[in-house]
Amino acid sequence: MSGGTSEVDLAEGVSHQVAMVMDLNKCVGCQTCTVACKTLWTEGGGREYMYWNNVETKPGEGYPRNWGESGGGWKSAEHGERSPGEIPAQGDYGRAWEFDHEAIMYDGSDEPLRPQGDPTWGPNWDEDRGAGEHPNSYYFYLPRICNHCTHPSCVEACPRKAIYKREEDGIVLIDQERCRGYRYCVEGCPYKKVYYNARTKTSEKCVFCYPRIEGSGPDGETFAPACAEECPPQLRLVGFLDDERGPIYKLVEEYEVALPLHPEYRTEPNVYYIPPFAPPQHSDAGETVDVDRIPREYLEELFGERVHRALDTIQRERERVNLGESSELMDLLTDTNPARKYRLEVFDDA
Amino acid sequence: MREERSAALAAAVLSCLVVVTAAVAPALTSARPANQIPVEEVSGDANPQRPTAEVWTAVPSVDVPLTSAPSGLPNANDTSVETLDVQAARDQRRLYVRVSWKDGTADRNVTGPREFADAVAVQLPVNTSARPPIAMGSTRTPVNVWYWSADGGTEELLAGGPGSTTAFGNATVRTTTTYDDGRWTVVLSRERRVPGPNRTSIGGEDVDVAFAAWNGSNMERSGRKSVSEWYHFPLGPGPQGPPYETILWTVAGLAIVGVALVTITAVRRT
Repeated sequence: MSGGTSEVDLAEGVSHQVAMVMDLNKCVGCQTCTVACKTLWTEGGGREYMYWNNVETKPGEGYPRNWGESGGGWKSAEHGERSPGEIPAQGDYGRAWEFDHEAIMYDGSDEPLRPQGDPTWGPNWDEDRGAGEHPNSYYFYLPRICNHCTHPSCVEACPRKAIYKREEDGIVLIDQERCRGYRYCVEGCPYKKVYYNARTKTSEKCVFCYPRIEGSGPDGETFAPACAEECPPQLRLVGFLDDERGPIYKLVEEYEVALPLHPEYRTEPNVYYIPPFAPPQHSDAGETVDVDRIPREYLEELFGERVHRALDTIQRERERVNLGESSELMDLLTDTNPARKYRLEVFDDA
Repeated sequence: MREERSAALAAAVLSCLVVVTAAVAPALTSARPANQIPVEEVSGDANPQRPTAEVWTAVPSVDVPLTSAPSGLPNANDTSVETLDVQAARDQRRLYVRVSWKDGTADRNVTGPREFADAVAVQLPVNTSARPPIAMGSTRTPVNVWYWSADGGTEELLAGGPGSTTAFGNATVRTTTTYDDGRWTVVLSRERRVPGPNRTSIGGEDVDVAFAAWNGSNMERSGRKSVSEWYHFPLGPGPQGPPYETILWTVAGLAIVGVALVTITAVRRT
């Protein structure tokens, strides 16, 4: 297969960069990806509060609360100086909720089944709250995993080099033998996708399901990450950014409609989003008015100024399809063939 | 003639004073050579492993000043432990180091992402005849570190430069701790000779030693820590430790006497 990488910005020393595109127009907030990841990777001790994959409602404060204001990332595009950032407090992640199943299910208690104690925050605490006034309120869902950035500030933050970006596919991993739980990576990641396990005294994070993409399961088959495979509306595409025949390359590099979250952190994420559309606003009388329901300024806060062009491009291509013309972009975004959505074996012979 | 005689007398008196000063001054100016931590011989029966053991009242204490370690880590200059009180003792088999410092909060439990444990470390060169770089040694001159952390861990570490700390599989360091009235007191001890490579042998010669402390509630960890300069345990054959001061005083004294004699001779000839 083609290994041409002339136009793609890969990290130094990385042969191919694994990447994911998530189409936010398809996310229904069902949290199946969250549960798939949780049961596969973070059921163990010390990980109760930990979600390597989470889905949060936007606008909203997210998980951990206000992660967007917690600092981290780089001060400039030269990647010379980091913004140090902060470690979120436990309360901003929320604590694992305890339920008294014993009393209610078996001992005949009349109490409703609800969390013990008095929770004050949790993943997707502000679910579906959104913003705007009736009849023009709006919200959408934002699934988040580690972005396996091209310039990961978490890697630079670790004084022991226990966290590293691996050569073969750019996946960012923590060497559990070297990690001593200093948590400079937790501070340094602006997306707050590294978590501290107080039980093991090491930090842990999304591994992009690398054993699945390596085919190291029982049958030796290659699988996309669990969050992608388990997603009911199949909103994720998985492959390599530098696979020029794959949909990710086309969406990110050619059509430029798949955008990184908060590009101003300058870590250059390798998880990309198709920005969300919503029907236009309505008047009180129920008539459609030519005003964006989700304010463009808000989307610009999340995805940078390139969001305007991306939305315009998608809009234009949709109109073409409505007129009966063909559109490669729309074909890519509506493809349901898993073999084309998950292209993970293209560089196996590299 | 009288002038010559009084000049000669003055020069002689001055010479005598210089010689006496050279002999006595070292004893008057400091009780021990700089950066030395005396090691008292004790009996193992006195239980020096216990921080509150009676035996420690008879062991001299050294105030070791600390400063923030130079490091590129965020907030590296924001450290809070300023001084360690250090005592050292040995019995036939073990070296005991008793370290005590002020810390208003005992940070023992690390249950949340923002919590860090208090800690202290003693650093020794693996090869006692070379003095490694103070910041965790170097690949050529590694250091042994005895590390105690308030969340229950004692580790024996090997390091060959910053960020290279690696724990030995079998820690042979023993620690015992008290926290009382806003002070941590930790006794760290190890057998003076432990078989195997990369472990400091403590015995026939002076051993360099440096210290570090971390205040967990100030989010200190890793290179964000308070550190000392190099000190040494005077375990070598010389009873006084390094004789630099005596040598310098003697050289200075002889030089002054020489100058005085030349002056006297010159005065007599005029």
